[in-house]
Amino acid sequence: MNIVVLVKQVPDSGTERQLDSSDNTVARASADNVINEMDEYAIEEALTVKESQGGEVTVLTVGPDGATDAIRKALSMGADKAVHVSDEAIHGSCAVQTSAVIAAALSQLEYDLVICGAESTDGRVSVMPALLSERLGIPHLSGARKLTVDGSTLKVERQTDGGFWALEAQTPAIVSTWDTINEPRYPSFKGIMAAKKKPVETKSLADLGVDAGTVGLATATSQVLDFAGRPPKGEGVKVTDEGDGAEKLVGFLASQKLV
Amino acid sequence: MTLDFDEGDELRDLRAAVADLAGRYGHRWFLEQARTGGTVQELWAEAGKAGFLGVNLPEEHGGGGGGMVELAVVLEELGAAGCPLLMMVVSPAICGTVIARYGTPDQRDRWLPGIADGTLTMAFAITEPDAGSNSHEITTTARREGDGWVLSGQKIWISGVDVADAVLVVARLADAGKGTLRPALFVVPTGAPGLSRTQIPMELVSPDNQFQLFLDDVVLPADALVGSPDAGIAQLFAGLNPERVMGAAYSLGTARLALDRAAAYARDRRVWGTPIGAHQGVSHPLAAAQVEVELARLMMLKAAWLIDSGQDAGTAANSAKYAAAEAVVHAVDAAVQTHGGSGLSQENGIGALVTASRFSRIAPVSREMVLNFVAQHDLRLPRSY
Repeated sequence: MNIVVLVKQVPDSGTERQLDSSDNTVARASADNVINEMDEYAIEEALTVKESQGGEVTVLTVGPDGATDAIRKALSMGADKAVHVSDEAIHGSCAVQTSAVIAAALSQLEYDLVICGAESTDGRVSVMPALLSERLGIPHLSGARKLTVDGSTLKVERQTDGGFWALEAQTPAIVSTWDTINEPRYPSFKGIMAAKKKPVETKSLADLGVDAGTVGLATATSQVLDFAGRPPKGEGVKVTDEGDGAEKLVGFLASQKLV
Repeated sequence: MTLDFDEGDELRDLRAAVADLAGRYGHRWFLEQARTGGTVQELWAEAGKAGFLGVNLPEEHGGGGGGMVELAVVLEELGAAGCPLLMMVVSPAICGTVIARYGTPDQRDRWLPGIADGTLTMAFAITEPDAGSNSHEITTTARREGDGWVLSGQKIWISGVDVADAVLVVARLADAGKGTLRPALFVVPTGAPGLSRTQIPMELVSPDNQFQLFLDDVVLPADALVGSPDAGIAQLFAGLNPERVMGAAYSLGTARLALDRAAAYARDRRVWGTPIGAHQGVSHPLAAAQVEVELARLMMLKAAWLIDSGQDAGTAANSAKYAAAEAVVHAVDAAVQTHGGSGLSQENGIGALVTASRFSRIAPVSREMVLNFVAQHDLRLPRSY
């Protein structure tokens, strides 16, 4: 089974992240960039499927030159090869434009299964797998907490607030995963050393046959017009216990919809 | 002319991978093992499986094909995450290095794959009750009997014998007489008849234990002797510089843990409206320790690089060990002070580092012996002993 995992490099969500004040896009150059956390679960799932079904895992990423760090991480975990779409013209693209680029890249690959994280921690638009499903005309099994592969049949438990849905589709299909699906492996020393020898193909928009004028900030379907920092954390509420402390605490929790 | 201090992608990736693994266990887990009589075997086994414990050993014997640079980085990262694996100083660094370089092909085949993947742990026994740091006075003796050997003597301050499958014992050959040591190294299985041990209770919060060893006519086969009987001194030198580098790595990891914890607390903790880290009485000791850590790390990497490139690493390895021990003592002291009373609470865990950091000034070689070495070797000063 040939599997393509979509991997995105994002600013570390554990650090303070910035927008670039010149064009209101995510400031990536100055950030501590890491592999999108949810994508590590997608990689793990792809490797697990490969281990049981055979085949090959290809990493596909769209991003600037520095995204090679994210690719290397995926390869060191055990993916076989990578395609890196890198083109200055892509800067500032919206989700719709990006999906056209990824779909074009996927069209040049042979795949039975595409796996991606359910969201990225930078944009958090969370629509990429659905957009790709539409563009490629393949089923989208979204929000998986469990994936079972039986021949060409994919079964997914789709996580919801109240339980799960049982989904089923035939390959080729795209599956998006939550962090409940597995525990990602860390790279072994051999994996780290092997990663540098694995093939990484870099492609431009021209290589994909995508017109540079159709992507990028200028023609994006959505743009960030303005932004403001998160307001500083306000003073907390102090409850003085005058015999009714518990009642006040429960009242506060209820007002925050926590109980 | 190139002088490149960039660690490079592979080493950065190795640091990240080890930090990922160790982060799944953490300092709290480590202390819990220490306080409940547990062991670090679960983490040891996982690190071994991932190839982290044998990064320095030859690939043909199951190792990673890297060197002491990689091995030191692994231990530093484990320590920074709060779970340093002490037996890495001994099993892959000393025993693995000695056997890889001086063992017979049969000995390499027998011992290295297990040391490399962590399924076999080898302790190392050199120090003796009546010899201390004076290894010329070692009295543990090996005498020939038939084709094999019989070992008698005592060892003290031997780490991890309880989790070890075998001990690499430094002895003197009976026919070599007294005086200048002509050592020979023997692999003694921990189950060998005549070998017994007594645990030394320590004021350390550590899952790794210290032992006194008694060798009472331990009968060993001929191939228990590592390599040739004439190579003992060379074997010791080959093993002890990696030990010092790993001692430095152990200290540096702990120092980083202490500074990370203290800095996070000092950024956040407000008493009179200002984070306490803004007060120079708090920030300067932490910053000074940070400088020491960075300097010690540079020397550790240099020493490891010298070993890996086959050059004399004596001064560098000793200097790294010295500097890292001072750095961790200062870092932990500043971290405790930064935390105030909670720095010594059991819940916090930083207090547990106090004796551990102090231990770094003594083991695996004391600060005084390091300074003796540098005084004589680099400054050509006369020796007093």
